Amino acid sequence: MSRGVRVAFSCCYWAFVVYVFVPLVLMMLMGFKDSKFIGFPIKSWTLDWYLGLFGDARILSAFGYSVAIAVLSTLISIVVGTWIALLIDGHKFFGRAAMFGLALLPALVPGIISAIAFRIYARLLGIEPGMFAIIWAHAIHNVPFVALIVMARLSTLPRSQTEAARDLGADPLVTFLRITVPWLLPAILGASIFCLLLSFDDFVRSFFLGGYQPTLPVLIFAELRSGMSPEINAIATFAVVLTAALGLWAERFTRRMNRAPER
Amino acid sequence: MRDGGDASAGAEPPAGGATGWGKLVGFAPYQAFVALVCASPRRQFFLLAAFPAIWVLSQHLGPIVQMLYVSFTDAYPVTSGVEPRLTLENYRRFFDEAFYRVPFYRTLVFATTFTLATLVITYPVAYFLTRIVSRRNRLLMLLLLLIPFWVGEIVRTFAIMILLGNNGAVNLLLKWLGLIERPIPFMYTGFSISVGIIYLTALYMLLPLYSALEKLPRSYGEAAADLGAGPFTRFRRVTLPLTLEGIASGCILVFLISTGFYGTPVLLGGPSTTVFAETIAGFFHVAGDEWPTGAAFATIMFSTVLVLVLVFQRFMTSLRKGDTR
Repeated sequence: MSRGVRVAFSCCYWAFVVYVFVPLVLMMLMGFKDSKFIGFPIKSWTLDWYLGLFGDARILSAFGYSVAIAVLSTLISIVVGTWIALLIDGHKFFGRAAMFGLALLPALVPGIISAIAFRIYARLLGIEPGMFAIIWAHAIHNVPFVALIVMARLSTLPRSQTEAARDLGADPLVTFLRITVPWLLPAILGASIFCLLLSFDDFVRSFFLGGYQPTLPVLIFAELRSGMSPEINAIATFAVVLTAALGLWAERFTRRMNRAPER
Repeated sequence: MRDGGDASAGAEPPAGGATGWGKLVGFAPYQAFVALVCASPRRQFFLLAAFPAIWVLSQHLGPIVQMLYVSFTDAYPVTSGVEPRLTLENYRRFFDEAFYRVPFYRTLVFATTFTLATLVITYPVAYFLTRIVSRRNRLLMLLLLLIPFWVGEIVRTFAIMILLGNNGAVNLLLKWLGLIERPIPFMYTGFSISVGIIYLTALYMLLPLYSALEKLPRSYGEAAADLGAGPFTRFRRVTLPLTLEGIASGCILVFLISTGFYGTPVLLGGPSTTVFAETIAGFFHVAGDEWPTGAAFATIMFSTVLVLVLVFQRFMTSLRKGDTR
């Protein structure tokens, strides 16, 4: 490939990097602006918006609420998703393809439709809008991702290992707990972090299923609709740093998992 | 399937009975439990299968089926004591009023445009990462791109608002360069929505393209070059046909996702760019009796999107088969 073509492709890449990073960097900078109005240029700087975060009860409670929802919904998704993966990967049975399709369904329904379908179904089940409703919707929405990640890992588990355990006298449950679960652990950990991020970032389901207490994205949305102030920049920056850190950490697990299978 | 019978006999505990596992296995209620659960491969399978089957039917399919049902009723939630009547009225409203149809078509046009734009933007990036960058740096450079994509929809939308506002960075830059006198109103237009939604969906295109290109051996291109094909012919006849699968899955993902955005069009769009998600949401902000109409509209959108995706998939499959003949 000629040098010119290489440079052109490299420009495409770096232009894309600029596109995905610059908005976030500008947003973080704006949180330091010493004025009530968002907009460039920034003439004087302050830390007040960032420091103010830690004294704002509304923001702190929205943050705590989002974290609690993320953790609880992730726990449910992990159990259900792993269970589905164990069924689909290990067995041949009638309706297996249908099971697979249905398991992936919640991830394929466009956001707004999934949100209102959950809203309608919650009414049928008697779930009031609020924390439990959001946890329930997030848990269902995240199950397909867990199932896919766990199935990918499960398919690399050598069958000889479980067979050896059974030959040595372990019952199916012990085999599962001592061979399968440790093997799946990196996948489960990676999937957990992925679910935590999806739930923490989710807006549309939280918006339609939430009660009076907003989650962090819903709070930011409401603030944006009522007018922008650099305080939102500080909140958003906080969310960026948190999610990026968690994502980078998760990347380590997934990469360790994708390496050549250890003994 | 394995034979579950041997553990049920309660035979002597395995070696190392002093460990925690040994204690567990030697524990009588545990043995009874295993004997019950693993009595036969068939029972073991049913116990494994029952919960996922119930879950996917009631929790994954249930909401969609209920939405479909509600879309044919005249009132929901139902007032107690009143039987809901079945009706097609909710669907007729869509076909009767252009006020509802315009956002619908706009959503389809927008989603198609965003999908194509995302493809054009990310293909060179994926090509660069898999063909030009060394294997060592490849993962790092991909990881660099992943970081912003872990940030949520609303936060990234807000970042775009700051970028494109009248006092935003782009207008400031253009003014500083002396290209414009007054700020260009980027915000609340189709343009601002495009920038926002492509920002949100690019990764779902990039990753399938990346894995398709990574799987494609470089030797194919080299062989074509040896046979005298120029760079453009090589791309059109070798690279492109062999990455069609990645292109198809990326396009389907981005199309499905970009029809479903609600928060981003609300924040970045204006009255002239209302998308169907906002129309649907409107029925859920007001009195409860509008829910059936909202459900009908959501059903119309979901079924249209599904049909388009299926047609597209068939088309891509036939294209792939036709090319590898």
